[in-house]
Amino acid sequence: MRIGTGPLRKKRAARTSRILVTGGTGFLGSHIAFALLRAGYRVTVLSRSSKNLPARDRVAHLADWLGLKEEERRRLAVAEGDILDPGWAAAALEGPAGPGPVDEIVHCASNTSFAERKRAEVEAVNIDGLRNVLDFAARSGCFFFHDVSTAFVAGKRTGLCREEWVESGEFTNVYEETKARGEVLVRDVCRREGIRLNVCRPSIVYGDSRTGRTLRFNALYFPVKAALFLRDIYLADIRERSGRKAAELGIRMMENRFLFMPIRIEVGREGGINLVPIDHCVDVFMAILEDSLDGGIYHIVNPRPTRIEDVVDHAKRLFRLDGIETCGPGAFDARPKNALETLYDATLDVYRPYMQDLRIFEIKNAAPVLESHGLVCPEFTYDVFARCMNYAVEAGWGARLLP
Amino acid sequence: MPRIDPDARATAAQCRHYAMCKIDYLATGLCPSGPEKHFVTYYPQGRMDLYRGLSEGQIPVTDALLDAADTCTLCGICDPQCHFITGMQPTAVMRALKGYVEDYRREKGEVVRTAEDEALRKLREIVGRDWASNDPAVLWTYADDPFPLAGPQMPRYVVLPGSRDDVAAVVGLANELGLPIAIRGNGGSVFGFVFTDGIVLDMNRMRKIEFDLENWCAAVEPGVTSFELQQEACRRGLRVNAAEPAATVCGNLVCTGTFSTWSNVYGTAADNFVDMEFVGRDGGVFRLNDKRAPNHFAFEHRGVPSPGICTKAFVKLHSATDDEEGLLVPFGGFDEAVRFARELGQRRIGLAVAVLGAHYVATFLSPDEDLAGKLKAALPEALGVEAMVFAVADRYGRDAIRKIAPAVIDSSLLRLLMLGLPKLVEPRWLDLVREYEGRARPFELLCRPDMRPVVEAVLQPSPETIAGAVPEALRPFYRDLYARPEMTDMVWLNMHRIVSARMSRRKHMFAFLVYVPPDRLDVVHEILDGFVRVAEAHGIDHDFGFLTPMDFGKRAILEYDYYLDHADPAEREKIARAMPELDPWLDELAARVPGVLSLKYVFSQGCSRKENFLYRV
Repeated sequence: MRIGTGPLRKKRAARTSRILVTGGTGFLGSHIAFALLRAGYRVTVLSRSSKNLPARDRVAHLADWLGLKEEERRRLAVAEGDILDPGWAAAALEGPAGPGPVDEIVHCASNTSFAERKRAEVEAVNIDGLRNVLDFAARSGCFFFHDVSTAFVAGKRTGLCREEWVESGEFTNVYEETKARGEVLVRDVCRREGIRLNVCRPSIVYGDSRTGRTLRFNALYFPVKAALFLRDIYLADIRERSGRKAAELGIRMMENRFLFMPIRIEVGREGGINLVPIDHCVDVFMAILEDSLDGGIYHIVNPRPTRIEDVVDHAKRLFRLDGIETCGPGAFDARPKNALETLYDATLDVYRPYMQDLRIFEIKNAAPVLESHGLVCPEFTYDVFARCMNYAVEAGWGARLLP
Repeated sequence: MPRIDPDARATAAQCRHYAMCKIDYLATGLCPSGPEKHFVTYYPQGRMDLYRGLSEGQIPVTDALLDAADTCTLCGICDPQCHFITGMQPTAVMRALKGYVEDYRREKGEVVRTAEDEALRKLREIVGRDWASNDPAVLWTYADDPFPLAGPQMPRYVVLPGSRDDVAAVVGLANELGLPIAIRGNGGSVFGFVFTDGIVLDMNRMRKIEFDLENWCAAVEPGVTSFELQQEACRRGLRVNAAEPAATVCGNLVCTGTFSTWSNVYGTAADNFVDMEFVGRDGGVFRLNDKRAPNHFAFEHRGVPSPGICTKAFVKLHSATDDEEGLLVPFGGFDEAVRFARELGQRRIGLAVAVLGAHYVATFLSPDEDLAGKLKAALPEALGVEAMVFAVADRYGRDAIRKIAPAVIDSSLLRLLMLGLPKLVEPRWLDLVREYEGRARPFELLCRPDMRPVVEAVLQPSPETIAGAVPEALRPFYRDLYARPEMTDMVWLNMHRIVSARMSRRKHMFAFLVYVPPDRLDVVHEILDGFVRVAEAHGIDHDFGFLTPMDFGKRAILEYDYYLDHADPAEREKIARAMPELDPWLDELAARVPGVLSLKYVFSQGCSRKENFLYRV
């Protein structure tokens, strides 16, 4: 190992490590980076410039959004670079103006698309980009690598998924597949180079369970966003254009002022959706960082998956909708899909494996950490759902969030 | 001197000389003075030039200028006519011109009257007093256009012959006087080949069309535009392979040969006429089919002069069936689209066929440049469409296309998209589409027939919706216009080519046309990459235009466009610097790869057999 446990413990205690966070302007990356700063670490955030903003400004806006204190900002450095560029580190970190040596790397940069048609882009980030990060880790003084992966590297299976390496398997989508291949790459380089390694595998991460705040509005949010879009289209049709289009699809305003939209969502008879709020995810990550000095693999999951029927009920109640129902396999054979159902079905098809998930994620490694820090994953109740979705609506699903 | 309105001056300088104000393509009627006086000076295009000429001090106030200003009734017809294709509204310029003339008269400014010289007297003897002029204001409206590689060139006379015999007599006189002649079909050109310091012949008075249905042809005089001929053909249930709407049929045939998306089945060059009549350089009249006539069906790989002045073309007529419809086949990649278009050619499926990029699709469908910009971005980025194949096909062709294509935007969906375009690019909807991760690509989902009710609800397609995209003052006009079925009928639109005239809306377009072998995608890419490389090196706006298969998919014509503000000297300079790089590169490519030929070598050889330039044996 590049560093012994004793010196590592000392460095951590003195907070002298400089930690590089890739994907530091992403959802998980930014929360982890700022949690590290709050914990007293020196952090370098790797960020690309956007079309409108240089990297530094992007990070500054995020720091504002996350309420970072002045003292915490002083320990924050921003490195502008793109892991897709093999020379990223030389430009971003190793030049005379760079933030100095990197001791630990938290790798959050990831393309989370599930779409097969985006395979090239997903592989570019999750494999080629990762290789570029690992090349830098190997030639730098990095002694600890924290790989933020996903619980779904387990692939297509049912039953217990262990906190172990996944060597091969069948995957639901390109995201799962590339994250699994990435874990192997990380493991091999870290073993060869004597770099300590933690692999954190969260399930589906949503907003803050206490405030509803979030930066990303995909996964759990997208089907809700789509339903609200349709709701608004047909409400406008009913209110402004006599509701002819709504009537064609059996959409109507009910006496209780709920909008009736006949959408059946096909789900399996068992299973649920494994949802973890960002606050819990970050707390667990920080606890693992603190406790797991020898390295390991950790699931960051909800031991009590949420039934999709409950999510549907939450959405109907919050948004005053009716007619949206879950149905068992074969329901569409008896009565074919209407146009709304066709759209909704196509929208949900990539999420379906996660909506009726029969995988049980082992937390043998994570449990002692959770216990020692008193961490319990919040349940996805109606209140949590309402908090998150109200925030999403207020934030224009991200449009009004950051410049 | 009266004040020049800077806004009107800027608008006048942007006139694209597309001559769309000279054809009644929106059924609004024409500027009243134009068809009476025939000189371009009396159309909105000419008045735009007059105001620019005054503002630049290029012309004095003359009798003709006063007359041109006075005969403008400020009826406002030119606003929708011009806005539809360029986004400009010339009435402000017309008003400024009339205001200038009014002030000038009030100030008792001198009016220049040019005396009739001997040559003009003889010209007037031939064509009639009203149809020949040396008035500087008239001459100015024939002296310049947006072509960026040449400055204005004032002719000595502008003459409007009324018959073939007039043309022959004028040519004889010009030879006698040693004066060069340039021919202008419709008073406009974007390539700069219509200027001279001698005599400009404007063929606007020769406008006869005679249909010979038994021989499937129409005898067309040189002042007839493609739009007018197509309109007449349509009335008889027929069709011609037409050029840009305001281009004259004869001029187009002689210049490059007519090519369009219909060239997939109707070919180009000599394919499009049965015979042509010319007045030769010696003033003699000949027909191409005359054994004693020079052989203009042959092709020489060099710049050669035209056969003479075309005074009549016997244009081929084609039958149309009542089940033809237009459709678009979207693709996630350009290569897939080219392969598909070529396959249609090979299999003889469909009639008009073209590969279009996001820029052309967006520009053609949108009545407003801002809307076009949003759609152009949304097509690849949100909907996953990199290229589309446009096709017109009868019901059998459409059935075949549906069987081969991954997704099809049929005529009814296309109508929804056109009329609901402003809703299609609304940020909330686009965000949703952009984040959609499903297995089917977004455009495939959009094309599914069972999705139609939702698409209709989202887009709210109606003439009101699409009219919402244009300036408020024009909305009532656009609402009525888009209520007309032909405005969303891709067969009609493509035959009359009125929306493709929008390609110069962003800026003046400098088009490069190259014949290519479409089976050689490597060569097609080499050409596209070359145009991109040179444009980027010189900071020129650029975009892919279209690619249409020809001769059963063995060859294709490809257009790549550079865009420039022709009123900006710095932009003109960019093109001037780029051209010396483009020519040798294309020549080298043409020498290396059979089937590659820059259209510039076909200029003036439009009467040749296409086989003589598409193939090299």
